[in-house]
Amino acid sequence: MSFLSPLLLVLGAGAIVPLLLHLMRRRTGVRIEFPAARYLVRAEQEHSRQLKLRHLLLMLLRVLAITCIALAAARPVSRLIPQGGAHAPAAVAIVLDNSLSASAIVGGRSVLDGLKDGAATAISRLSGSDRAWLITADGAVQGGTPASVRAALARVKALGGAGDPPAAVARAASLVSNAARTTAGDAVVGVLTDGQATTWGNTGPGVDAGAARVIVLVPSLPPPPNHAVTDVEARPDRWTPRGEVAVRFSGVADSATYRIDLGTRTLARGTVSSDAAVSVHAAPPERGWVGGSVELEPDELRADDIRHFAVWIGPPPAIAIDSGVGPFATGALATLTSTSRAIPDKNGVAIVPADRLTTLPAVIIAPADPVRLGAANRALERAGIPWRFGALRAGAAERVDGIVVGGDTARADADVSVSQRYPLVAHGVSASDTLARAGGAPWVVAGSGYVLIASALDPAATSFPVRASFVPWLDAVLSQRLGSSAGGAIIHAVPGAAVPRPDWADELEAPDGTRRALVGATIALPATAGVYFLRRGGARAGAVVADAEARESDLRRLTAAALSGRFKATGGARMYTDRSAWTDAVFAGNGSRSVLAPLLALALLALLTESALARRWSQPERGAEGRRVAQRAA
Amino acid sequence: MESTRSDRADLFDPAVLASMGHIEIVARWIVDGFLSGLHRSPRKGFSVEFAEYRPYQPGDDLRYVDWRIVARADRWVVKQFEEETNLRAALVLDVSRSMVWRGAPQRLTKLAYAERLVAALALLFLRQRDAVGLVRFDDAVRTAVAPRARTTQWRRIIAALDGPGAGRASNAAEGLAHAARMVRRPGMIILVSDLLTDIEPVDRAVRALSVAGHDVTVLHIMDPAERELAAAGDAVFVDPETDLAVPATVADVRDAYRETVDAAIAEWRDTFARTGTRYETVFTDVPFGLPLRRAFAARQ
Repeated sequence: MSFLSPLLLVLGAGAIVPLLLHLMRRRTGVRIEFPAARYLVRAEQEHSRQLKLRHLLLMLLRVLAITCIALAAARPVSRLIPQGGAHAPAAVAIVLDNSLSASAIVGGRSVLDGLKDGAATAISRLSGSDRAWLITADGAVQGGTPASVRAALARVKALGGAGDPPAAVARAASLVSNAARTTAGDAVVGVLTDGQATTWGNTGPGVDAGAARVIVLVPSLPPPPNHAVTDVEARPDRWTPRGEVAVRFSGVADSATYRIDLGTRTLARGTVSSDAAVSVHAAPPERGWVGGSVELEPDELRADDIRHFAVWIGPPPAIAIDSGVGPFATGALATLTSTSRAIPDKNGVAIVPADRLTTLPAVIIAPADPVRLGAANRALERAGIPWRFGALRAGAAERVDGIVVGGDTARADADVSVSQRYPLVAHGVSASDTLARAGGAPWVVAGSGYVLIASALDPAATSFPVRASFVPWLDAVLSQRLGSSAGGAIIHAVPGAAVPRPDWADELEAPDGTRRALVGATIALPATAGVYFLRRGGARAGAVVADAEARESDLRRLTAAALSGRFKATGGARMYTDRSAWTDAVFAGNGSRSVLAPLLALALLALLTESALARRWSQPERGAEGRRVAQRAA
Repeated sequence: MESTRSDRADLFDPAVLASMGHIEIVARWIVDGFLSGLHRSPRKGFSVEFAEYRPYQPGDDLRYVDWRIVARADRWVVKQFEEETNLRAALVLDVSRSMVWRGAPQRLTKLAYAERLVAALALLFLRQRDAVGLVRFDDAVRTAVAPRARTTQWRRIIAALDGPGAGRASNAAEGLAHAARMVRRPGMIILVSDLLTDIEPVDRAVRALSVAGHDVTVLHIMDPAERELAAAGDAVFVDPETDLAVPATVADVRDAYRETVDAAIAEWRDTFARTGTRYETVFTDVPFGLPLRRAFAARQ
């Protein structure tokens, strides 16, 4: 037998009280004149053994009662108590994997509903001495009484994304371990999951569950076949107005129909076979920020049969190129013009050497000749640009740490080097972005109405103009930074996630058209997938595309052994497919059962017996009756 | 007090009755009430040895009316003779300190109860024309009133009851021996005591009285609280005579004590039974009529 609150065993010292009273008995009390004291002496002499036995019995009953109460207060548990009794107090955290994949229908009902049934069974077994939490895949924690946990369970719905069940398990293990340390109870993490391989198979060295026991319930039925729209990309993300929607599907066993919508209009329909990709070109009449979706015919996992995209549609940016920028920039702009990505216009965005800068907006390129440095800096000063060129640095090629367009680094070219550059020196205080660094120093910077490149666009100065990424970069700069759609952005996230709020965004427009003001540094997305528009000054200026992770569409599960191996728990991890067996395992503890009830029952029995015996032995015989006895004897 | 007599004062609560008057008056009420409940005695008992006159009472035999006094003084008196007392009795009263105790304020002490009982017995004997005496003792004989059948005897006995006592022992054997010396012929001796003394000396004294032909009756006076422990909790019980201190938990010893007292009573009863001695336990909360009737039965 062990004790969950061993410090309370000190209450057992109270058992010495009846012992002392027994030993000190008759040494206290009032003095009463009593002529028949000789009969008392005789009574004690004649009944001494009986009286001693009575005293001893009463004393033992009192000691037993106090000892039992003290032991009960210390919350004892024992392995000797047979199954069926109350389980030992435990700290139980139930991790419910309510990721999107759990919403798959198997056997007529969703996997999540089956998991919730298992959780409900476990919660019904909780006692008042347990500590309980419900933790979902999104990391939400609900602790408290069994009733509150049960209520929280009823509110659980499938997430719009994968969530992070391994992190939830780690969190649960931390909770129960801390609780178990304070209460000395059993620490149990009950995991209910669909065992998705993409969720549990990429947990690195495994989920550290510490000293907690991990009891896992996985569905017994195999996962259903599932097809999904795994990727949708609007290329480019600024259509001028021509663009392309590229779609990838997965899990399509034979064929499935799909539909591509843009705004309120269907852009395309078709049938896809196998896992083929689909690309649809269009030049839609819509203008501004528009949302779209690609939807596949429904199957057992409905949530991944639709995926969204957002695009800006409008005229191409007008550009006015200066002949001094060199052949590479001129060639790139010709390419953009020929593909309708840009329109030549002398009033458009100027692409100009710094020393010839006269108006903004402009793409400003460092002068090829260092002699023009002074004129370039004076032009920058006149344009109000808070940067100046330093003395030319030429020498070993410096690696460029990515070239950023907006917030998107995916298109960064990792193979750009710089041989000659003018160190950019900040001049004054003004908001600006550093789009690229060379040698750790700003190389390409941007601000309101300008993009400044610290090297001439010449292969002798930098390899950037001869890289494949140059033309798309220039296209993006013109459209996102300097064109009529400048300032906007597309953010990709999962439903329910929190994303950084662009400083220019002041409202969020939901797919149903409702808006809410944005405050704070982050945007808490709703749990529903879709396109949420970022608004600035009452107009759409960007979008957040919320879709589930593509990996959630892969419903393959880990084997029990593989899943068990993902948990690093000193208390062990055990897999179950049967709900009742799983529940039993959660509350089986370390084999111990609470001895609280038997001890309290024994204490009560001892007290009742003591009370009955004491009353029986102390109850006076009625005087008249006693006298009748005496007179009968006479 | 006519109403009191007619209401059978012998059946009143002893404490209530005692609070209504002096022991002399109370004893009269007891005896009057007791006698009114009996049939008139057929005994006449008058003999030739003149003892004294007494006022005529209805029912007296007209043969014993002194007609000369009637004629000369117009007073109706009857003559009484010494030889008409066919019994000599001695009342032996224990006045030791243990008798001056009561278990509850609403009850008489054992001594107060015994004194009123003795007074009533004496009056009853005297009403029956018997000679009655009194011996009071504690650790020694304190008072002795020789048996007489005269009407003034009762007042002497009443006066003697106020004598000293409250000694630290009960020497009942000496009291009984003294009574035996006072009652030379076979007579009646009534011991009124709480018997908180050793049994052997009393047994020897009673046995000697029986051998001498005396009719011995023992009235064992007990307070109800002496049979049934009433106090609760832990206490130290102190014998007022011997200062013996007995610490006890009443709840623990209550049953054993009751059994012991019953056993002691049974021992006294067996002991006295062997010598033909009557033995009665008398609780101080029972009306005087009950012990009086038992003693009177012995007289009959």
